[in-house]
Amino acid sequence: MSPSTPSHGRVVAVTGACTFLGGELLRRLEEDPRYARVIALDIRPPAQVGGKVEFVKLDLTQPTVDGELATLLQKAKVDTFVHGAFLSHPTHAAEWAHELEDVGTMHVLNACAGVEPRRLVMISTTLVYGAHPKNPNFLTEDAELRGHRDSRFVNDKVRAERQAQRFAREHPAVEVCILRFAPILGPSVSNMFTRFFARPVAPVMMGHDPLMQFVHEQDAAWALQRAVDSHASGAFNIVGKGVLPYTTVLALLGRVPVPMPQIVARQLTKVLWATQLVGSPPSFLDFLLYLCVADGAKARRELGFQPRLSIKRTILDFLGVAPEDGATDVARAMG
Amino acid sequence: MTDDEDPVIGDGEEDWYGDADPRVPDASSWPTEGDYGFLGEVPPQPEPAPRLADAELRELERRVEQQHTPLWFDLTKRLPLEGVWRRWRALAMWGRSDVVDDFGRDPRATARWEWLFEFLYSKWFRVQAFGIEHIPQRGRALLVANHAGTLPYDSAMVMHAVRRDHPARRDVRPLVEDTVFHLPFLGPIMNRIGGVRADPANAERLLEKDELVAVFPEGEKGMGKLWKDRYRLQRFGRGGFVKLALRTRSPIIPVAVVGAEEAAPMLGKVTWFAKNIGIPWIPVTPTFPWLGPAGLLPLPSKWFVQFGEPIDLSSAGPGAADDRLLVNRLADQIRSQIQTMIDGLLAKRRSPLLAAYLG
Repeated sequence: MSPSTPSHGRVVAVTGACTFLGGELLRRLEEDPRYARVIALDIRPPAQVGGKVEFVKLDLTQPTVDGELATLLQKAKVDTFVHGAFLSHPTHAAEWAHELEDVGTMHVLNACAGVEPRRLVMISTTLVYGAHPKNPNFLTEDAELRGHRDSRFVNDKVRAERQAQRFAREHPAVEVCILRFAPILGPSVSNMFTRFFARPVAPVMMGHDPLMQFVHEQDAAWALQRAVDSHASGAFNIVGKGVLPYTTVLALLGRVPVPMPQIVARQLTKVLWATQLVGSPPSFLDFLLYLCVADGAKARRELGFQPRLSIKRTILDFLGVAPEDGATDVARAMG
Repeated sequence: MTDDEDPVIGDGEEDWYGDADPRVPDASSWPTEGDYGFLGEVPPQPEPAPRLADAELRELERRVEQQHTPLWFDLTKRLPLEGVWRRWRALAMWGRSDVVDDFGRDPRATARWEWLFEFLYSKWFRVQAFGIEHIPQRGRALLVANHAGTLPYDSAMVMHAVRRDHPARRDVRPLVEDTVFHLPFLGPIMNRIGGVRADPANAERLLEKDELVAVFPEGEKGMGKLWKDRYRLQRFGRGGFVKLALRTRSPIIPVAVVGAEEAAPMLGKVTWFAKNIGIPWIPVTPTFPWLGPAGLLPLPSKWFVQFGEPIDLSSAGPGAADDRLLVNRLADQIRSQIQTMIDGLLAKRRSPLLAAYLG
C-alpha cells in the first residue's frame, strides 16, 4: 500500500479513475517515483489498484459528496486533484449525466474551495467550442465556448468548464488547468467517436466535407501526465498533428460513406437515436457540416506537449493496420 | 507433428476445446491449404502438408456434422472479405491525398483539377497577366483584388496565374466568403484546391506562415453587382484587409481583374426563395437559370489580370492597425488605385462590348 510518509512525494486524487484517461494516468503515476500516493475515486474499482494506488468509492451524484470529498482531501493531504469524471459518449439518461457532469463538478469545486489543493486538472473536450459556420480553421483557447445547440452532452461540459473558470478566478492560489482533448482515437479507448467510426457505414452530409482532427490515445494520456506534472494553468487544447477532410478519414478507414441530404439525415438520426440504434443524437450531425478544429500551439508552448503521431498514423492505429512505412503497432512501441 | 504418428482426432476425449484445442491447427491458417475450397480452385501452396490438410478436413467435417461450428462461420472465413475491403479502401482513396495542409488543401485534388483551370485560363478566358514580377519570390504578401461574377472564377484565375507564370510557382490562398465556402459540393472542392474561409484569424495565420493570400474586399457585394454597375468598385468592406496587412506587416499588392463581369453578366437577381436554399440571391444571367446548371458555366470573355506594385505599409507605427481613420483612408486609397488600374485595362480593349468576348 501507500508509503507511510506521503510528504516525500506528491499526492494525487483522480475522479473518473475507470475512464480511459484516468486509468492511463494511474498507470503512469504508479511508475513515477515523484508521486507518493494516488487516490482513485470512482463508483467501481479501477484495474490499476495496488502499489501506490488506493481506491475510494465516491459517487459524485450524491447530494452531500462534497463534504465527504473535502474530508478525504484534507486527511490524505492531496496536492493535485484530477477531475475526469466525464462521460465519453452521449446517453439517454440525460438527467443523471447532468448530475454527474455539471453538479458533480460543483461538488468537486466545493471540496477544492475548502481544501485548496495546489493544482486542479480538469478534463474537457474541444467539442465545447461547438461546430459553427463562423469557426476559424484553428480555434484558440480564448475562443467563445459556444457549446452545441440541444446537446446536453456538450452543454454539461461547457457548464462544468465555466464553473472551473470561475473557480480559477476566485481561488488564485490554486493552479487550475483545463485540458480540452480533441476526439481521442486509438486501439483501446472507447468513446462516441470510436463507436461512430467502428461502424461499416457512416453518414455524409451531401456536399459538405469539413476538416477533422483527432488525438491518439497515447498522446492524450501523455498530455494528461504532462499537465499533472507541470505548473501551467489555464485552458489547453490537446490535439493531434494535422487535419484531414471527413471523407478522407472514412476512405482511410474503409468505411462506406452514405451521402444524405441534411433533412433526411436529421430525421433518420432522430429515429435511430430514439430507438437507441445509434450512439449520437441528431444535433451531432453539425460536426459533419462545420469545422471544429482547435489549435495546439499553447499546449506546445506552455505545457511542453507535442503530439507524436500524425492524424493518418492515429487512424491506422485505431484500425489496427500497420502503416506502409514499416513501423508497426505504434501503441505498443510507444509503451 | 511427426510423420510416423498420425493424429487421431475425435479419438478418446470427446471434449470440445474450441480454437484452443491443441490437436487442431489454428483456424485462421486454413484457407491457405491446398486441396479443398468452397469457392473453387485455391492455388497450390509451395509446401503442402497433406497430412495436416487431411486432419483439418476431417476436423472440419466433424465440426459441421456435430454442428459445433456453424457452416456460415467457416464460409465467411473463406470469403475474400479482407481483399474486398482493401480494394474498397484503395478505390475510396483515389484522387485524394492522405495528407492535407492545415487549411485543407489536398495536393492530389489540386493536381486533379489543374487541367480545368489551365483550360479556362488559356483557352476559354485567354487570360493576359501583367506585372506578375511584382509578386515577391518568397515571403508574405496580401493580394487585394476586385470581385465579380456569380461564381468566383476570378479568384481561381488569380491563383492559377501566379502558379503558372510566376518563376517561383507560388501558391495563392484565396479567401472565400462564407456564402460560397458553405455552398454544398462547391465549398469543399474550393477548400481542397486551396481556398480558405474568409476569417481574419485564418488570414493572419496564413500570412504569419509567409504565404500569399488573396482577398476580395468587396465580398458578397462585389459578386452581387448588376451588369449596369460593372467595374464600379463597391465599398471595400470595413478595411479589415488593411488592418490585417498592418498587423502582420505584409505588403499589399493591388490586383485588377477585367473580364469576370462579362463572363457572367448578372442582369438581375431574385431574392425570393434564395434564402430557403441557403444562398443570398439567385442570379439571373443570359444563361442562368434558363439552361439549368449548364447556365453556371461562364461566357468566354477576354480577361486581363494586372498585378500592381506592392504597397509597403511597414513604415506605419505599431498601433496603426487600431487607428480607424488611417485604416479607412488606406483602404480607400487602395480601392481607388485598383479602380484606376481597371479603367486602364478597359481602355486597352478596342470596342466596349464585342472586344469583351472576341479579345
